[in-house]
Amino acid sequence: MDENVAEFIRRSILKIPLCEMKTILKAWNFLSEDQLQTINFRQRKEFLAQEVILMCEEKCARLDDMALLDIVCEDVDLFDMKWFQCSFKKILQRALRNVTVSFRVDGKNAVWIRIAWGTQYSQPNQYKPTFVVYYPQTPYAFISSCHLKSNVPLLHQALKVASKHHQIVQMDLRSRHLDSLKAIVFREYDQTFESHNSTVPLQEGNLGLDMNLDSNIIHENLEEKERIHRVTQETFGAHPQPQLEFAQYKLETKFKSGISGGILADRKEPLRCLIKFSSPHLLEALKSLAPAGIADAPLSPLLTCIANKKMNYFKIRDK
Amino acid sequence: MDPYDSQGSTSRRRTSNLKDYFVGATPLQKRLESIRRQSSFFPSPPRRKIPQGTELQEEIDPQKVGFLLHKQWTVYSLTPLYKFSYTNFKEYSRLLSAFIAAEKQKGLAVQVGEDFNIKVIFSNLVGVRGTQRDPEAFLVQILSKSQSSREHREGRVLWTGWFCCVFGESLLETVSEDFTCLPLFLANGAESNTSLIGGWFQKTFDCCFSPLAISAFHLSWMAAMWTACEMDHYMATTEFFWSVPCSPQSLDISYAIHPEDAKALWDSVHKTPGEVTQEEVDLFMDCLYSHFHRHFRIHLSATRLVRVSTSVASAHTDGKIKILCHKYLIGVLAYMTELAIFKTE
Repeated sequence: MDENVAEFIRRSILKIPLCEMKTILKAWNFLSEDQLQTINFRQRKEFLAQEVILMCEEKCARLDDMALLDIVCEDVDLFDMKWFQCSFKKILQRALRNVTVSFRVDGKNAVWIRIAWGTQYSQPNQYKPTFVVYYPQTPYAFISSCHLKSNVPLLHQALKVASKHHQIVQMDLRSRHLDSLKAIVFREYDQTFESHNSTVPLQEGNLGLDMNLDSNIIHENLEEKERIHRVTQETFGAHPQPQLEFAQYKLETKFKSGISGGILADRKEPLRCLIKFSSPHLLEALKSLAPAGIADAPLSPLLTCIANKKMNYFKIRDK
Repeated sequence: MDPYDSQGSTSRRRTSNLKDYFVGATPLQKRLESIRRQSSFFPSPPRRKIPQGTELQEEIDPQKVGFLLHKQWTVYSLTPLYKFSYTNFKEYSRLLSAFIAAEKQKGLAVQVGEDFNIKVIFSNLVGVRGTQRDPEAFLVQILSKSQSSREHREGRVLWTGWFCCVFGESLLETVSEDFTCLPLFLANGAESNTSLIGGWFQKTFDCCFSPLAISAFHLSWMAAMWTACEMDHYMATTEFFWSVPCSPQSLDISYAIHPEDAKALWDSVHKTPGEVTQEEVDLFMDCLYSHFHRHFRIHLSATRLVRVSTSVASAHTDGKIKILCHKYLIGVLAYMTELAIFKTE
């Protein structure tokens, strides 16, 4: 084996953290199963490196193999499911002692976690578990509600550490439908802002009106209807909307009115309002408002940005 | 019934029958009122006195009426009771108990071992009226008889219903002595019990109950009136609920505003001291609508107001109210009595 290759491999091994050593060597796929079995992963890295080098010499490691090891080390997305599960469980158990943690790996994309919470002195309550769905390839996890709010920071901590991220941030997006949340967060729906398939404007002739009424009025109504339809399509897209149940807005804005003036004109404080929209299918309902004449088109960006901004909880203040 | 239809008809009625209620109407005011009743051709803008919280002739014992607060009541309007007597409460209790027991026994799904040991109690509700001329309110309760011999008190209250008339006597057509006018009926408890008891009253006193739906028009009035009431401290946020008629999915909008801000808005709109006018109610609501429209570009006026809630009381369009403030109990009942009377006429 080339000296430089050996040296490079030695240095690479020294850089690998011990807890990841086995995983990386396995992923490298150069040493055989038997060889890996014989390695003592508990010894000091210098000695471990020497062992590995000897094995590499036996197998005549070449430049390509060395380069591959380098790639494997650099692969930041290298996700070790076992390690994740192990450290997640450990963190919770160390803090709570009585906690039931179960995992299910869903294909390659997701890991489902079920946590039943207990305390130092009481058994886990199996009837009020919290579920977490984590997508290791992405920086997103979905958490169902936790009946003991005091456990939430611990849960966040466990997720953060086990997934090797620096920070965990709660998004202002909540729904009963996991699929809808996924659709919004992973942009699996098709929201277009520029529509290239503009709908063909309605022709007067298509309606078969043969009465000689004031055709200008009819034309204007048609135009307006057509405009509303087009604008709605542009904002919401032609595809089915992700299913959300509600959106909540906390407003702290001053009252400004065009009605007979002076109302609250001297008041510096804003109006504190909390507005909640609820529907079995919120986005579809909002989409139907302008065509029904209940709202102006285009609808307010506060409503149309929900899917785009991945939020359904908002705090609005005057700028 | 389409809420907008009733709005039209009651506003016509109101202009002919409306009277400002305050304690001790002077002879002049009575004369004016009877003239206004006759001249139903000139609709005057409806106006109402803001409840002051001091309309009581008799002091209501807060302990005795505390149970009326913080409960949801389903509201009905009731035609006058024929040959009803306040001295026959014991008799009525006995008859109604027997009636209920009989009905329940011949009823369908009877659970084995179901307790038929119920007791009905009629009692006076002292002080729940506007003036001395209002008939006195009374209360009917169904209690489960306690099985345990240790307890001397009655068991659990299963159902409560009360009949009252608050500042209503002057609005009602004069009737003969045989009739007692208590147009407002409120019930809390199982719907099956309400129908049972309602049925007994209808048979016994030849009267008629009808559910009292509250239109969006009146809900707006209530919201304005109750926001106008002076409060030492606010216990609840001021909240409105709209139902949006869009298809295929329904949409509900709830709009909660900090009660101090709602009061500030009202004070800015309010011009006539001590009274609430139609213009003020409209302006108050328009302000709320326009603030909403500024942010969301949705016209709330095109949707259906179904519930309002304030620190004083809350009301739902299906005819359900909850009174939250002892001070304004009479004020709230006065408005409800008015609605009940117009429903029956």
